[in-house]
Amino acid sequence: MPDVNTLIEVALIIVKVVIVSMILFSLPLPLTWLERKIAGHIQLRLGPFRVGPHGVLQPLADMIKLMFKEDITPYKADKWLFRLSPIVAMVPAFAVYATIPFGNTVTVPFINKEISLHIADMNVGILYVLAIGGITVYGIMLGGWASNSKYALLGGIRASAQMVSYEIALTFSCVGVVMIANSLSLVDIVHTQKGAILGILPNWNIFYQPLGFIIFLIAALAETNRIPFDLPEDEGTLAAGYHVEYSGMRFAFFMLTEYLAMVTVSVLSVILFFGGWNSPPLVPETLNNLIPPIFWFIGKVAVFIYFFMWLRFTLPRYRYDQLMTIGWKILLPLSLLNILITGLLLI
Amino acid sequence: MNLLKKIFFIDFIKGLSLTFKYNVSRTITMRYPDEEKWLPYQRFRGLHTLNRDSQGRELCVACELCAKVCPTQCITVIPMEDVGTDLKSVPRGISDRIAKVYEINLVRCLFCGFCEDACPTTAIRMGRDYELACFTLDCAIADKKKLLTPRDIPAEFEGGFVVKAKFIRNDEGIKVKPDLSKKKRWW
Repeated sequence: MPDVNTLIEVALIIVKVVIVSMILFSLPLPLTWLERKIAGHIQLRLGPFRVGPHGVLQPLADMIKLMFKEDITPYKADKWLFRLSPIVAMVPAFAVYATIPFGNTVTVPFINKEISLHIADMNVGILYVLAIGGITVYGIMLGGWASNSKYALLGGIRASAQMVSYEIALTFSCVGVVMIANSLSLVDIVHTQKGAILGILPNWNIFYQPLGFIIFLIAALAETNRIPFDLPEDEGTLAAGYHVEYSGMRFAFFMLTEYLAMVTVSVLSVILFFGGWNSPPLVPETLNNLIPPIFWFIGKVAVFIYFFMWLRFTLPRYRYDQLMTIGWKILLPLSLLNILITGLLLI
Repeated sequence: MNLLKKIFFIDFIKGLSLTFKYNVSRTITMRYPDEEKWLPYQRFRGLHTLNRDSQGRELCVACELCAKVCPTQCITVIPMEDVGTDLKSVPRGISDRIAKVYEINLVRCLFCGFCEDACPTTAIRMGRDYELACFTLDCAIADKKKLLTPRDIPAEFEGGFVVKAKFIRNDEGIKVKPDLSKKKRWW
């Protein structure tokens, strides 16, 4: 019989996991709405407007529609793989959040206990995130393979090639941050970004690693399969790419994965380059005590999410050879150069 | 120069600033049946009206010129003599001849405006109502009573604006009632 403290710890972890996965499950609803709204306003339209005030209930209606849609498995498809692949794609997207720190410790009322706002503080956090995040592509590949369709297969192949190319640049661009922080743990990386440079600028890694940040951003865009690198689901040439044969909830799982991937890279860029939950230095002390650190975290993530959506409706899609050129000939050498410069400056 | 442009993402920033400008600017979508409505210009040819003069007498003398000129023959006019009933009361028309039946078949009407050109007493005029949809075919025939009722938009009101409006749905059909006080240019 384990003692009470251990039981409380276990219960706390379970509660945290449930809360985080609930939030992550419901996150695509506001995000789809936001994306359509931003698309509308950039194109001088209004976006969804009829369901609820300013169309906020539109994603709920869409969800109900997706639930009741017929779940089609194509003739001659590999049924087992076809059903498995959305799950394979979705689980890693959730698993990444096991190590993401959302904020500093908070004291919960009633039980008077200090709780850290992350599920686990791994000492190899960044490695874990990149490794698990990379598994998502298996779901996409399997989905493309199992559909027994040319478009889906091409989408899956493109996805795998793209992931392999950009995973390297993505990981190398994180190395610079790791070198500065002297730690792979995401919590430690955030803690090293506390304070200010010269009293004005925040002590964030973006000011030490501008090149690394740009490489990270571009590679992350490619990792999330978003425009300008959304070749796996290239509407123009591949209909819908790897999920062309999917319908109903299975399609919804792929969409969920995609939105979670976008949130993940936003969260990662905030943690690695924008100081996590640290507030900007010019905020007065009284205000700082009033606002919980998680507010700054969510605010920064929201800015990044907006940025990704904004980018989507600004840029066209790259051609496939251009994608490969950017990945191997530009981003990879530049990320190696970034590591070299960081190493030289740290000596 | 080209290399510098590429290094600092000049083209990307240009494009992003343009899309951001559009993101925060006003949309061109008109929320038509729900909240807004475009009011036509005065020259617009919508649902017909039969007018009265300043003393409230019907201007129509049932000359049937409109029915004659109508290319689709959608106007039916049956005249009658309007004398001898009561000399003290105000006569209904400006002369002793008025329309007994005045019907316009709106399904057939093509809103060409020939009837108002032909009218010698400016009795029939094309109004500015363009929401003529309804649930049954009965309402497609505009009788004299309907044509004589005054419209929401007065004839002297200058159109070409978007105004706030209210969407009304009832058994007779749908109507979008404009609020004439707040005018707004639509692009």
